[in-house]
Amino acid sequence: MSENQMTEATKTAGAPGEPYRGTTTGTESIVTLSKITKTFFRGSEPIRVLEGLDLDVPNGSFEALMGPSGSGKSTLLNIIAGLDRPTSGAVRVAGADLGPMSDSELARWRSQTIGFVFQSFNLIPVLTAAQNVELPLLLTSLSRADRARHVATAMRIVSLEDRMHHYPRQLSGGQEQRVAIARAIVNDPKIIVADEPTGDLDRKSADDVLTLMERLNKELKKTIFMVTHDPAAAERAGVVRKLDKGALQ
Amino acid sequence: MLAPILLVLMVFFVTLPLWVRSVPVQYNARSLLVRKVTTLVTALGIALVVFVFAGSLMLREGINRVLTAAGRADTVVILRKGSDAELSSAIGNEYIGLFRGPAQVSQAGGVIGEIVIVVTADRADGFGASNVLVRGMPPDGFAFRPELKLASGRMPRPGTNEAIVGRGISGRFKGIAPGQSFELRRNRPLQIVGEFTADGSSYESEVWGDLDVIRRSLGREAVVSSVRVRLNRPEDFDAYRQTIENDKRFSMKVMREADYYQKQSQALSTFLGGMGLAAAILFSLAAMIGAAITMNGAVAHRTREIGTLRALGFSRRSILLSFLTEATVLSLAGGVIGVIAVQLLSLVKVPIINFQTFSEIVLRFQVAPGVLAWSLWFSGLMGLLGGLFPAIRASRVSPVEAMRA
Repeated sequence: MSENQMTEATKTAGAPGEPYRGTTTGTESIVTLSKITKTFFRGSEPIRVLEGLDLDVPNGSFEALMGPSGSGKSTLLNIIAGLDRPTSGAVRVAGADLGPMSDSELARWRSQTIGFVFQSFNLIPVLTAAQNVELPLLLTSLSRADRARHVATAMRIVSLEDRMHHYPRQLSGGQEQRVAIARAIVNDPKIIVADEPTGDLDRKSADDVLTLMERLNKELKKTIFMVTHDPAAAERAGVVRKLDKGALQ
Repeated sequence: MLAPILLVLMVFFVTLPLWVRSVPVQYNARSLLVRKVTTLVTALGIALVVFVFAGSLMLREGINRVLTAAGRADTVVILRKGSDAELSSAIGNEYIGLFRGPAQVSQAGGVIGEIVIVVTADRADGFGASNVLVRGMPPDGFAFRPELKLASGRMPRPGTNEAIVGRGISGRFKGIAPGQSFELRRNRPLQIVGEFTADGSSYESEVWGDLDVIRRSLGREAVVSSVRVRLNRPEDFDAYRQTIENDKRFSMKVMREADYYQKQSQALSTFLGGMGLAAAILFSLAAMIGAAITMNGAVAHRTREIGTLRALGFSRRSILLSFLTEATVLSLAGGVIGVIAVQLLSLVKVPIINFQTFSEIVLRFQVAPGVLAWSLWFSGLMGLLGGLFPAIRASRVSPVEAMRA
């Protein structure tokens, strides 16, 4: 995340809470899934979660994925993020074929390509907000000073520059999620995956977080793929997809 | 054998951050501080083990110090061939002058014959009796040992039944303290007139009196137990030994004094050191299990955090290293506590029977830099071994499963 990008983002940001339709105009796919299946086993009984699923997510889009519990939303998200592997099918994300990658290659790829936003924020409780945001940068070759600059920029983007040295327990839920978003963008990932990012938040905090995600999509051109149950959250995305019984509707 | 392994482990850990992008150490340090009680209990368990381990090493150091401090490189001990200790050796008076002959012998008071006996004395505290080593020496015997320092009282007068006692056993037995007397045999008393020190060596656990008076008391006027010879230079030893051992007029064994005491200390040192080490190893198994339980609890408690770190891109190796570091830091903290606490042992005196002389010597736990370094190594090793399986478990946490936890 460069200082220029941050300045640009600050200049063009809409007012918090202002409705935003997102972008759907990417010219090339950043995510391409072909004939994805995923089968889990409960004992010896196979449970098919995804059934020959195809998906193209354009670069720069903001997409929401909805569906009932157990429909395979989180599994699909995990496959896109390189956290899980499909039972069959091909996964291509940000130009990389994830299939042949080893676990350690996938870990390295995730650290460079994916920004994560989780429902429960998943901040490390014993680290300060700034230290949490710095975590992905520890996997780069940046100097300590450069890391500090990137962290400060990310914290400014989420308007929490005055909470840098607070621990998660000293922050509200909304603030925690904004710190998590700062952590997701600090290493300038190509795609942000968000799993129920507003699920643990009150309405006001959820609106703030969604507005922030809209800004990231519009101003910093980040591709965002969000799993949500919340229709209000889905409404903020440019594209809403529905998943049911392992297939996109 | 252990040292190279430890060296390899040290190099491995020092260089790990160069090739593994590691989770910040603050994460581990603060995670330990958050779980104060568990951390403290585990650290104290490890501290106890390190206390025992360091204590056994300090005792070995103490034995070596006491028994080998008495030995000088330029002095040889002559015993009758077949004897391992002064107590079992007897050399006729007529040979003493012959030992002075070779050119390697220092002519300034270079040869003394001494008699060594063991007497049984009641302990001053009333808890039974033990053996005390009594050394009879000629008038020039005191000057032969320049490390001797009179701590109180006065030197015994030659040709009398006066004696001095080493500070190590002074007052520990009835009648063996300045101003008191004890019997070598019935109606053969030795009067203690002073107390001496001898650089903390085993001499401080002896009573020194007049050679002729002591021999007369025992009816052994014709022999000495051993002869000590001061050489011109330590390098003269081999030539002197060849001369004496090849002399057909007698059958003697010649040893450097330092080697003689080294050999004496070996059995005791091995026995006590082995006992201490065995106890430390047994204790360490318990401590390692404790550390493993603690770290297992930490892994279970922090599954979601581990999953988050894995999702962010930290490799399995990073997680493994992180938890190994945490276990090692925890263990080293216990080690530091143990090493600090064990310093108190240096104030304790331990009476022990020397297997070679069957007499009591008084030891001190001896602090040495090597002991402290080994103890810290030992604590680090316990952390590494105890933390290994929990760390492997942590490194195998699936980020997907962790998020569901």
